[in-house]
Amino acid sequence: MKNIKLIAGIAWAAAGLLIIIMLFPGLGMMSRKLATLPFMKINPNFSGGEVGRQLVSPVCTLDIRRPVFDGLFSERRKGFVQFDWRGKLPGEIEDSIDYDFDSIPDFYVLIDTKESTTYLKALNPAVKDINVSAATSYGWALRVNLIRDPSTIPPGEL
Amino acid sequence: MNDRTSALKPNKSAGKSLLCTLPMLLLTFMFMSGGRPDFSNTAQFLALIITFAGVNVLFFLMHFTGKTDRYRAVLFIVFAISLSFTLISNMLETRSSMSFNQSDVLECRIPFCHLVIPMMIIPAAFTESIIFPGSIIGGFADIASMIILWLTATIVLGRGFCSWGCFYGGWDDGFSRVRKRSIVKKISDSWKWMPFAVLFMVAVTAALTLVPTYCDWICPFKAVTEFEQVTGVESAVKAGVFISLFAGLVVVLPLTTKKRTQCSFLCPLGAINSLSNKITPFTVKIDKKNCTECLKCVKSCPLFALTPANIKEGQVSIFCSKCGKCIDICPNNAIHYGIKGVPAGTRKNFSGNLYLFVSFLFLAVFSSGSIINTLQKLLDFII
Amino acid sequence: MTESFILGLSSGSACLVTCGMVMFPYLMAGSAGVKRVVADVSIFLLVRLAVYLIQATLIWYLGQRIITSPILRTWVSGSLYILFAVMLIWYSIGRKRNKECPAAIISEVENKRMIPVFLGVVNSLGFCPALLLMLTRSSGEDSILQCWMVFLAFFAGSSLWFLPLPLTGKLGKKNIITTVGIFATALAGMIFIIKGITIILGGLIYE
Repeated sequence: MKNIKLIAGIAWAAAGLLIIIMLFPGLGMMSRKLATLPFMKINPNFSGGEVGRQLVSPVCTLDIRRPVFDGLFSERRKGFVQFDWRGKLPGEIEDSIDYDFDSIPDFYVLIDTKESTTYLKALNPAVKDINVSAATSYGWALRVNLIRDPSTIPPGEL
Repeated sequence: MNDRTSALKPNKSAGKSLLCTLPMLLLTFMFMSGGRPDFSNTAQFLALIITFAGVNVLFFLMHFTGKTDRYRAVLFIVFAISLSFTLISNMLETRSSMSFNQSDVLECRIPFCHLVIPMMIIPAAFTESIIFPGSIIGGFADIASMIILWLTATIVLGRGFCSWGCFYGGWDDGFSRVRKRSIVKKISDSWKWMPFAVLFMVAVTAALTLVPTYCDWICPFKAVTEFEQVTGVESAVKAGVFISLFAGLVVVLPLTTKKRTQCSFLCPLGAINSLSNKITPFTVKIDKKNCTECLKCVKSCPLFALTPANIKEGQVSIFCSKCGKCIDICPNNAIHYGIKGVPAGTRKNFSGNLYLFVSFLFLAVFSSGSIINTLQKLLDFII
Repeated sequence: MTESFILGLSSGSACLVTCGMVMFPYLMAGSAGVKRVVADVSIFLLVRLAVYLIQATLIWYLGQRIITSPILRTWVSGSLYILFAVMLIWYSIGRKRNKECPAAIISEVENKRMIPVFLGVVNSLGFCPALLLMLTRSSGEDSILQCWMVFLAFFAGSSLWFLPLPLTGKLGKKNIITTVGIFATALAGMIFIIKGITIILGGLIYE
């Protein structure tokens, strides 16, 4: 038994040496393999969610992402929806946006890209307020806070 | 075999130590240069040569003098400082500020570090996603690479990662060595269980809020890397918290106690790495035949891994990071690196040399990137 | 729900720290075996749940009539967080915890089978600012069902600490869990002090 433990211990230690030697040359390949696993994607609360629709205009492109209410087990009451303006942006972005594609505008937004100010007027009770509005490397990103089902929220909390 | 000799007593033969350093020379050259050193950029080439020479000289000295911790600490501390220098200079160049702004978070450009890992596990299991605004693959400190590096090192080295891999540990390790004697002599070693409480709280809160709460609220090392722009009450409170924790746990307490208090009392990854000590092949063994229970090792251990009870049992606790301090300080060479399954006091040379090679190779290559980068910037400035 | 769970987690660790050494011997009496211990701990937890739901009903009814102003709710909420935090930190650094534990009364019970039931009642009625916090949070719920859900989350968080009980055989492991519980209690205290200060200063956390 003692001999078996001895041999097993030394074998495991030798394997450790080989693992460390192979680690750095193999890092690229192992990382790429790890990146393909199902859980290796950024949570939508950080990535902003998948792009649902793209609206192309002569000036810039607007990406409307899917609303994000993701929680640990189920959807949360409160979430957000992200919009990305890409391209050469004008000094002022003025838009009435329909994020749920029911042909009814959900909110009106006015962004001054030079002064970095944003004004939002909600036209839908599910739209709450601005989460983030910031210049990015590709243009401008806006996150708007939403409530999943406003009819279930007590008036005081809306 | 003479039981009183340690694997790491001074080698009278420099030739023998040089022979043992040859494989390290070869491997570090290959890994640092990628097998194809770039001669076109003078500063970069010089930085590579200096780093290559430096790490191999340290390894040689480690083997020749038999002192592990002294030379390990040099590289470990230089690693911590150089990484902060690299990150901060990069941020100042690209953003003119140490703080990241909203667009960095929106575009998932935050560099990933291993301290996020404890908080990722439960959300990854339930939501199949990573709760961190970083890059999955590609770019600086991408998530996939950092996970592979940490996981591999932890499986092989156990909590040795905390003394041979963690690029933050060098900060409190460095501050703990400034004074010759400690001011605070007695600290209850119950505090070493606090990281498990921190691990529990941050794992649960991160899972429920889907935000890496340790990074968001607690991590003291934001003081030497990057932090959220202060734009309101919440971000100001966060800044106050991490600055206080850095000042207290990384600077003041290590200075006054000569212990690595951030690693011992706060780090949630340290708690996970302690558990991984159960699976690693390497350990630190106490040869009870030579041990006189002078307890110098207990007093010197920076991570509270040794108690008088451990000495009586002849084995270190799960908190041991294999830094080598107890091995260096033992007057009777009763403590040595060992391999599980190999009885204490036997095959000391083999076990010690094998462990040193593995751990030093990891530290040398892992740290080389930031050290070369730092040296290159300094040389660019000088030249 | 998330916040209620975290509140429950924090109060549960304080409960473990304060009452653990009183409850453990009864819940894990001698050579009872794992199955018996699992049964006793389950009864204890179910009784706690029942008492919490009864309290939830009373608190919701009272809360609807007492704390109605949003400003009052913010100040009461923030102050209670700080009070709760101070309590947690006091429990974690206190030396004679067991004397404060209401479960000490259990030594008066003659029928040993009823001990888990009595422990469940006593444990869930113990004074705790977390319950007062639940008053302000749950009283704002629109319906009694939502109030129950909030208390359910609180119960789940506070019960988490009792789950390892049947499995911790050796005294050494129990001491470790208690030590970690003490630290978790103190940490929760720090978190709630910061939260209380931030609420009062007007910040918002994870809305």
